Amino acid sequence: MAINVKIKSIKLLQGLPRFAYLLAVLTALGMSASLYRLYAGLGDTTNMSTVFPWGLWISFDLTTVAFAGAAFTLAALVYIFHMHDLHAAVRPTVLFGLLGYGSVLVILFFDLGRWDRFWHFLVYPNLSSALFEVSWCIAIYTTILIYEFSPVLLEKTKYKKLLGFIEKITIPMVIAGITFSSMHQSSLGSLFVIMEPRLHPLWYSIIQPEFFLLSSLAAGISTIIIGSFVSIKLFGKTLEQKMIEKLGRLMPWILGLYLVIKVGELAFAGELDLLFTSGMLSVLFLAEMILGVIIPAVLFSIRKIRTSRVASLVAALFVAAGILLNRFDATWFAIKKLNGESYFPSWIEIALLVGVASGVLLVYTLAAHFFPVFSETLNARSLSEANAGASQPAHTPAGD
Amino acid sequence: MTAHKYGFLIDASRCIDCRACLVACSAENNVSMKHTRIWIKDTGIVGEFPDLKHYTAPYHCMHCTDPACVSACTVGALQQNEDGIVTYDNDRCIGCRYCMYACPFEVPYFEWDKQFALITKCDFCISRLEEGQAEPACAATCPTDAIQFGSREEMLALARERIKNEPGRYVDHVFGEHENGGTSTFFISPVPFEQLGFPTTERTESSARFNREVTEIGTPIIASAVALGMTGIYLALKPKTGKHAAEKTEHTEEKTAQAQEE
Repeated sequence: MAINVKIKSIKLLQGLPRFAYLLAVLTALGMSASLYRLYAGLGDTTNMSTVFPWGLWISFDLTTVAFAGAAFTLAALVYIFHMHDLHAAVRPTVLFGLLGYGSVLVILFFDLGRWDRFWHFLVYPNLSSALFEVSWCIAIYTTILIYEFSPVLLEKTKYKKLLGFIEKITIPMVIAGITFSSMHQSSLGSLFVIMEPRLHPLWYSIIQPEFFLLSSLAAGISTIIIGSFVSIKLFGKTLEQKMIEKLGRLMPWILGLYLVIKVGELAFAGELDLLFTSGMLSVLFLAEMILGVIIPAVLFSIRKIRTSRVASLVAALFVAAGILLNRFDATWFAIKKLNGESYFPSWIEIALLVGVASGVLLVYTLAAHFFPVFSETLNARSLSEANAGASQPAHTPAGD
Repeated sequence: MTAHKYGFLIDASRCIDCRACLVACSAENNVSMKHTRIWIKDTGIVGEFPDLKHYTAPYHCMHCTDPACVSACTVGALQQNEDGIVTYDNDRCIGCRYCMYACPFEVPYFEWDKQFALITKCDFCISRLEEGQAEPACAATCPTDAIQFGSREEMLALARERIKNEPGRYVDHVFGEHENGGTSTFFISPVPFEQLGFPTTERTESSARFNREVTEIGTPIIASAVALGMTGIYLALKPKTGKHAAEKTEHTEEKTAQAQEE
């Protein structure tokens, strides 16, 4: 019997991509780093300080939440704007969102001085705290993501009776998910409103919440496009180019609006001169704007680029780099140094981060292996056909 | 009209850097000398030989009238009493350190060296006051009366009076009168406060106000706009039943086809 079970489990793991084992090793290393952090406290294990009470982990959290915005962006497009041909991307994207938020929650846990009291935000509310809003909305939204992903897990079990009920409440749940997402995406921007003395004026703004919300939409779409490419390599699955083209069409609008408000806000505050007088920070800000916003906005407005798989990927990578830089700027690079003290993460901070990221990627791989996550997506082999299809004019006018 | 508010006046020209206030704070609050809630700001050695000077001032929580930390605290561990004291509840705090970024005066301190770490911050020795003692430990101990304690109005009046009586001795600035919307701790000094290493701010409104504008007004607006907007768009774009049904069957057909393949 025991041998039988063993053989069965070996068989189950057959066909698992080889990088999964590398991820498992990195996860184990990260777990040891995290145990050491719990044992030794934050002072001995991190380079955070009184001057920089937040570090790499918070930068990672904000970046990940932005990219995990893919889930609510796609849910809005598919269920609310009725772009049903994007439906194939829903499962892989919801899983990405769920695991993205999972990694953020795990990292936050290790970031707390009193991690044993992480649940306090549930019972001690402070309604004017942006971090309280963020905590609650992330908790609720993660629950909604679990709901949205549950059919994948239940489909082949005896609980599939529940599927009917799950489907019935889809629309209200999706709307709730989008609402709580918008709230915490913007509340993450609200975090910085009170940090006026510490954040450089190029990034400080009372409408930071709106900037964060808008950029999370761009981050979400770029994530779906990049993901459709990565999943060819890893799982042999992808999306039709027609869908990627459709997503790309939204980008110039979102990025353009972002650019206009961002520059407008600086002009309104009389801070346009800072664009060129803040040394390295000017360079970072302009890099965000030019590489992450202007270039991809132009690229995505060209039809030839949207219909090309590789060109779309490149344009999406520009957006992603811009988002990454923006979140790291706001939480790290553009934070005013005091007494000349600067911050660079310790190796334990990096190891823990790599471990958690590897852990969620491993879970993703396993889930994709054992559950019908990619059931509606294309096989990469039929890609050439799909490309041929996309180069013909689109039949359904959607969006514009 | 308003309740009695406590206040501090700290006079840098009287401080002799004896650090008795640190010892008193350590003993009173049962914290190590590394974690005292009061510490010394200083100018370093200034002036030209032989006329060298070294100014110091004890520094602790300003107890803002509209405290940013109270507005920021995730779990409401920081609260403001009616008498203006900003208190800290170490049974609630989760150690997220948001208050450290929120505070414009760089006051909250985190116990980096502890396994289970919390914030430390001056609370006016509230337990002493509740016991009926007249003053917080630092003020009671200070041998030169560089730290004085009383009502907020008294302290502010005293600060102004000293500057008026001895204009040569002080710069004409009561630190804490307007900073961050006003505080309960006032400083007067013979040198500009930048030189003492004080965080300077020109803002005379508390950042807590801007915070409340986005969290208590902005977020609910965004939330309701999104919820209503999404519902509206869903209903407006909802395809006519016939077409929708056709799509659905198509969808199921695909699924069955796939299932058969598998």
